[in-house]
Amino acid sequence: MAQLTKNYPIKARDYLRAGEVSMQVQGLLKSIGFTQELIRRVSICAYEAEMNVVMHGGDGQMTVAINTDGIILNVKDSGPGIEDVSLALQEGYSTASDEAREMGFGAGMGLPNIQKNSDSLGILSEKGKGTEVKIGFKA
Amino acid sequence: MDQERSPLHYVQIDEKRCIGCVLCMKACPSKAIRVRDLKVAEIVGTCIDCGECIRVCPRGAVKAITTGSDPSTLSRYTIISASPVLYAQFGEEVMPNEVLLALRRSFKYVYDQAHIHELYNVAVGLQIKENRGKEGVVRPLISPVCPVVNRLIGYRFPSLLKNIIPIVTPREIAARELKRRLYCDKVFDTSEFGVYHITPCSAKMVSIKDPMFLKSSYLDGALGINEVYELIKKNLRDLEEDMMLHRSSGVGIGWGVSGGEIAGIEEGNYLAVSGLEETIRYLEKIEMGLFNNIEYFEFRACLEGCIGGPLTVADRYEAKRTVAKFVRMFGQEKRLKYAQAQKAYQEGWFHSEIKITPADAKNRLPLSEAIERQERIEEVFRMLPGKECGLCGSPDCRSFAEDVADAMVSLDHCVLLNLKNRGEGKREGRRNS
Repeated sequence: MAQLTKNYPIKARDYLRAGEVSMQVQGLLKSIGFTQELIRRVSICAYEAEMNVVMHGGDGQMTVAINTDGIILNVKDSGPGIEDVSLALQEGYSTASDEAREMGFGAGMGLPNIQKNSDSLGILSEKGKGTEVKIGFKA
Repeated sequence: MDQERSPLHYVQIDEKRCIGCVLCMKACPSKAIRVRDLKVAEIVGTCIDCGECIRVCPRGAVKAITTGSDPSTLSRYTIISASPVLYAQFGEEVMPNEVLLALRRSFKYVYDQAHIHELYNVAVGLQIKENRGKEGVVRPLISPVCPVVNRLIGYRFPSLLKNIIPIVTPREIAARELKRRLYCDKVFDTSEFGVYHITPCSAKMVSIKDPMFLKSSYLDGALGINEVYELIKKNLRDLEEDMMLHRSSGVGIGWGVSGGEIAGIEEGNYLAVSGLEETIRYLEKIEMGLFNNIEYFEFRACLEGCIGGPLTVADRYEAKRTVAKFVRMFGQEKRLKYAQAQKAYQEGWFHSEIKITPADAKNRLPLSEAIERQERIEEVFRMLPGKECGLCGSPDCRSFAEDVADAMVSLDHCVLLNLKNRGEGKREGRRNS
C-alpha cells in the first residue's frame, strides 16, 4: 500500500517560527490533493499541536503518516508532561506561561479543538518526561 | 494541467524580448512559469493574472493584455467608468473632477465609480451585521473586490471560496446601472458601444471575460491607466468645460489605498492586508482556523492597495499621498442616502447572481497514485542541493522535484547536482589512479 511518512522538528519557545511546521504539513496535503475539508481539519489540529509543543514542551517533532486509509499526526515532545489529561481536554483550561498569553496563545482551546476536528485522539503523557499526541483522520 | 480547458489568462511573455533569466519565474506566486533551456520563460501553470512578473521583468517582455486597443480608436460614445486610482495619477494639484472632465473631452459618458464604493460599503456593513453574534456562520468574510485574490483563493485556497462575501463589486454595479439607465433613457443601444473600466489592474480583463461571481460581466472591456494616461494629460491642458462629474466623498476615493474599503464600513472588527506574499500568509492562517474573530478581510494583491497596481503610472507612495489629500479634502461623510441604500440591499440589488468555483487545474489523481507521486517528489527533493537557484528552469527545488516526478524534465537539469556528481567522479578517478 502506498505510504508516506515525513518528520518535522519543532523547537520549543521559538514563537517566531511557530506555525511553520503546520504550514508545511498543509502544503504537503494540498500537494497530494486531499479534500479541502480534510485539509482544513488536519491543519487546525497540526497548528494546535505544534503550538502546544512550542508553549509547553521541550523540543519535539511532528510525524505525518499518510496512506490511503487516512492521515496520522504523531506529535512528541520532551516537555513537562500533562498532569491531568481530562482537565487539559476541557475548554478554557490552560497552564500557559504569561509569555505565551501575551502573544495571544494559551486560551485553553488547543486540545479541545484537536478533539473536535479529528476522528481519533490518543494522549500519552508522563509527568517530567514528555507527551505524545496521536491524532487520526479518515481519508 | 487541464488539457481540455486551459485557463484564460491575460498576461503574456514576448518571446523575442525574453532572455530567459529567472526573475519572473521566481516572482510568480502560483509557480506557473518555467524557463525552457535558460532561453525563454513560458507560462505553463495556472496564472492568476497578478502581474508580479510584469513588475520584475527588466526587459519589458511581460505584458498584460487589456482591450489591446488604443483608446483613441474607441467610439466617442463609449461609457467610461474609472477606478478612483486614476485620480491619484496626476499629482495633488489636479482634482478628480478635472480628470473626469479631461476624459469627457474624448468620451461622451464618463462616470465617477467611487460613488458606488460608498453604496457598496453600506451593503457590506449590513451583511456583516446579519452575521454578528450568530453561531455557525462563515467567518471571517472576505472582500470580493480584488480579482487576483479571488482567483488565488479559487485555485490555492478553494475551501475559503465560501468566505467571499456574495456582493457584486462596485465596478460591476456601476457598469450594470449605467447600462440600465442609459437603456431606459433610450440614449443608445449599449450593446453597440459598451462600458469600459479604467483600471490599475492586470487582472481586470480576466475578471471581465471569466467572472467568478456573475454569469457574465456587465463591463465590456478594460483600459489600463497607462493606456489612457497620455490622452488625459493632453486633454487636461486648457480645460474649459465646467460641470460636476465628481460625486464621491473621501470615502469612495480612499478605496485606492489599502484600508480604504474597510474605512467606509460601519464600526466592526475588520483587517486590511495588502501585498501578495502577506495575502497568501493570511489565507494560509485563515485556512488553519485562525482569525475567526475577524468579521471582514480586505485583501489586495498589490502592495499598498490598488494604487500599487501594475498598470499605474504614478509612484505608489506619491499616489498614496495624493489619495490621503483627497480624502481630507472631500471628507469622511458619505454622500448618499442611507435608507435608500438599505432598501436596495434588502431588495437584493447588491447580491451576486451565482458562484462559480474555478476548475482545479491539477488533474485529480486517485489517492494511492497521489501518495506514490508525493513519495517520488520527496525522493527527488532529498537529492537536491536546496540552493533554490532556478537554473534548472523551475522556480525552486520543490517545484523542480515535482516536475521531475511528473516526468516534465529530467533530473540532470539540476546544474548544481551535476557539478557535485562530476566533482565526486573526478575525486574517485584520482583515487583510482
